[in-house]
Amino acid sequence: MSKILGIDLGTTNSAMAVIESGEPKIIENKEGARTTPSIVALSKSGDRLVGLLAKRQSVTNPQNTLFSIKRLIGRKFTDAEVKRDKEWLPYEIKEASNGGVEIKLQDKWQRPEEISAMILQKMKHDAEDKLGQKITEAVITVPAYFDDSQRKATQASGEIAGFKVRRILNEPTAAALAYGFNKKKNEQIVVYDFGGGTFDLSVLEVTADTIEVKAVGGDTHLGGDDFDQRIIKWIANEFKKEQGIDLSKDTLALQRLKESAEKAKHELSTTPETEINLPFITSDESGPKHLVMRFTRAKLEELVRDMIDRSIEITRQVVKDSGFALSDIDEVILVGGQIRMPAIIEAVRKLFNKEPNKTINPDEVVAIGAAVQAGILQGEVKDVLLLDVTPLSLGIETLGGVMTKVIEKNTTVPTAKTQIFSTAADSQTSVEVHVLQGEREMAHDNKTLARFILDGIPPSPRGMPQIEVAFDIDANGVLSVKAKDKATAKEQSVRIEASTSLSKEEIEKMKKDAELHAEEDRKNRELVETKNTADTLVYTAEKALRDAGDKVPADVKSDIEAKIKELASIKSGDDVSAIKRASQELSTAMQKIGELLYKQGGEQNPPQEDGGGTKEAEFKEK
Amino acid sequence: MPENTQNNNQLSENSSQDQPAVSDVLAQCEKEKQEYLAGWQRAKADHINYRKDEAKRFEDMARFVTAGLIQDVLPVLDSFDLALSHGASSEIEKGVLLIKSQLGDILKKRGLEEIKISPGEQFDPEKHESVGEIESEHPAGTIAEEVQKGYYFQGRVLRPTRVRLVKNKIL
Repeated sequence: MSKILGIDLGTTNSAMAVIESGEPKIIENKEGARTTPSIVALSKSGDRLVGLLAKRQSVTNPQNTLFSIKRLIGRKFTDAEVKRDKEWLPYEIKEASNGGVEIKLQDKWQRPEEISAMILQKMKHDAEDKLGQKITEAVITVPAYFDDSQRKATQASGEIAGFKVRRILNEPTAAALAYGFNKKKNEQIVVYDFGGGTFDLSVLEVTADTIEVKAVGGDTHLGGDDFDQRIIKWIANEFKKEQGIDLSKDTLALQRLKESAEKAKHELSTTPETEINLPFITSDESGPKHLVMRFTRAKLEELVRDMIDRSIEITRQVVKDSGFALSDIDEVILVGGQIRMPAIIEAVRKLFNKEPNKTINPDEVVAIGAAVQAGILQGEVKDVLLLDVTPLSLGIETLGGVMTKVIEKNTTVPTAKTQIFSTAADSQTSVEVHVLQGEREMAHDNKTLARFILDGIPPSPRGMPQIEVAFDIDANGVLSVKAKDKATAKEQSVRIEASTSLSKEEIEKMKKDAELHAEEDRKNRELVETKNTADTLVYTAEKALRDAGDKVPADVKSDIEAKIKELASIKSGDDVSAIKRASQELSTAMQKIGELLYKQGGEQNPPQEDGGGTKEAEFKEK
Repeated sequence: MPENTQNNNQLSENSSQDQPAVSDVLAQCEKEKQEYLAGWQRAKADHINYRKDEAKRFEDMARFVTAGLIQDVLPVLDSFDLALSHGASSEIEKGVLLIKSQLGDILKKRGLEEIKISPGEQFDPEKHESVGEIESEHPAGTIAEEVQKGYYFQGRVLRPTRVRLVKNKIL
C-alpha cells in the first residue's frame, strides 16, 4: 500500500513526514536536510531551482527568486495583505484576470499555486527517492486562519504537483495530533506558533470526534527573523561606537555577522552568556579590526522584549475571543523554532500558569501531525501481535547482598538472557539462587520472586566453578530461571507464573523508590563491590605467596603480608576510600611477585614449567 | 508411533458426524500455523532489517556528528585565511600559516576538502552561493571572485563557496 505524505508547507520552510511502522517519521530531502526552504527560482541559465539551491543564488537573482509565496496564495490582488507585501517583495506581481495574484518568473506570469506546486513536487520526488516507492497522496497543512479560497488554492497546488490531496489540515490541529491530544475529550488547547516569519495563535477544542478551531489570531510579520535582525543591528551599532566603522556596507562582514548572530541566539537558549568572536572582521588604515563582544541572555531578552510581549498580548486577546478564560485552557503547545528561547517559554508558562508542551521538535511538529492524520486516513495495518515489556528488572542476589540484573526493565518479551556466576568461597558445594525483581541496588530492597538451591558442585577453589544462570520470559510473562553447573551439568530450575502480575501502582511505587534512593543505593553498592574486590585481592595475594613459596625474597614477602593484614583488618569496615587505598597498595606490592617470577623464569627454564601446567589442565578436562 | 497414527485415523472417522470434523480442526490449525509462521518470519525479517538500518543509522550519526564539529571549526579556518591575507612580520605569518596547515591536515584526514573555484567558472548553486556582483572581464553571470572558501565533507558539500558573480554590463 502506498504511503500518504504529510506536508507542512510553510512560509519560509517546509517539512514532510510519513508513518513508518506505526510511528511518524520526518523524511529528509535530497540535500539531507529535515526542512526545505520554501523558495523557487529560475536561474540565469534557465534552470528551475527549489529549496536550498534557490536560496544560494537569491542575492544575485532577486527578481527571479520567489519566496513567501504562502503570503499570496489564494488571495485577491486587492487584499490589504497583498498590498502590504507588494511593497517589500523583490519580485513582480500583478492582478490576474480572475482578481487573484500572478507572479512574474522570468517572462512568464504564474499563479501562486503553480509556484507552491514546484516546492511540493520537489518534496514528492525527494520522498519517493528516500522511501523507494511512488507517493500519490498527501495531507497538506495550512494556517487555521486560511479562508476557503486559500485552502482551495493550496489543494490545487498539491494536485498540480501530482498528489491526490486527501486532506487540507489546520496547522494547530496537526500540532495537537502530533501530541496525541485528539484522544483527550473535551479539552481546550492553545497552540502558540512562533515561526521564522509569522506568529500564529490558535485556540482549539477537542470534542467527541473532532478538533474544532475556536479562535485564531496572530501577526503575519512577527517572527524569529526579526529577532536576528535586532541582534545584528545591535552588534553593528556597538562596533560602530567602538571602532567608528560601519559594517552594514561590507557583504562578507555582514554575512559573518549574521551567522554568528544566529549562532549566538541559539546558544543563549541553553547558556546564559556567549561570546561573539569575529577576528579580522574588517580593516582600516591602522590595520585589521576584530570584533569581540560578550552577549548575555539578559541583553538578548532586552533587545526583543517588546516582540515577546506583543505575542503574549495577542495570545491573551485570542483566548478572550474564543470565549474561554485563561484558566480553562488544558494544554498549551509550542510550535516554531523561536520557541526554544527560554524567555518565550517562561512568558507562556506565566500567562497560563501551566507547563507548555514542547517535547516534539518545534520545527517538525506540524509535519509530524500531518503524518499522523495521514496514518489515520490510510488506516495503518493493525499489529495483531501485541508484545509486552517487563516493567521491572529481574536478577539474582550476588555476593554482599547486591542485586545483579539479568534482564533490564522495559525489555520486550519473549526474551532469554544467560550469565555465568561462580562461588564465593573455597570448596563451596552449593549456591542459593535468589530471584529478584525491582530497580534497587541492594537485594533486600527488591521483591523476592523465588529462591532455590543448586548443590552437588564439586569442591574447588572460589571463582572456579561456572554456574550458568538462564532467565527466560515467555510471551505470557512466565519466568523460568535455571541454574546449571557447567562442570557436572547438574541443574535446578524454577517457574514463576506471576512475574508480571504486579499492579500498575506497585510498579510505579517500586520505580519511584529506586529513584528516591538512587544515591544511597549507589553508595551501598560501591561499598559492597569495593569489599568484594578487597576480599578477592586478599585471597589472591595469599594464594600467590603460597604458590610462589620461597621464590619470593623475605623482604617482599613480609611487605605483602603486612599489606594483606592491613587490608584484611579494614575491609570489614565501611570506609570505601580507605579500602580502595589499601587494595591499591596491596595490588601494587603484588606486582613485584609477578616481576620476580618472570625474571627467575627467564633465567631458569620456563618452557618446562608452562608445559607442565598445560598438561595438567588437559588431564583434568578428560 | 504407529499406534498413534492409527488412533488419529479412527478418531476422525468417528467424530465426523456430531463434533467438528478433525479435518476442520486440522484446517484451522494449518491456517493458524501459516499465520504464526508468517508472523514469525516477518518478525525475524524485521529484526534483521532493523539491525541493518541501525548499522546505517550509526554510520550516518557518526558522519553527522563529525560534520557538525567540522562545521563549527570552519569559522576558525576562515579567520586564519583572513589573518593571512593581512600580512604581518614574515616569521609570524609563517608561523600562523603553519598552524593553519596543522589544523587543515587534521580536517583533511577526516574528509574535509576545499571546493576549488576559478574566475570565469560557471556558477553552480550545488556548490556555490552568490553574495554579490562586481564587474570583471569574464562573461556576465560567471564567477568573478571567491569571497569565502567552501568545503566538501566526505564528498558532500558541507558549505558552499561564497562568490561574487560578474555583473551584466549595462549597455
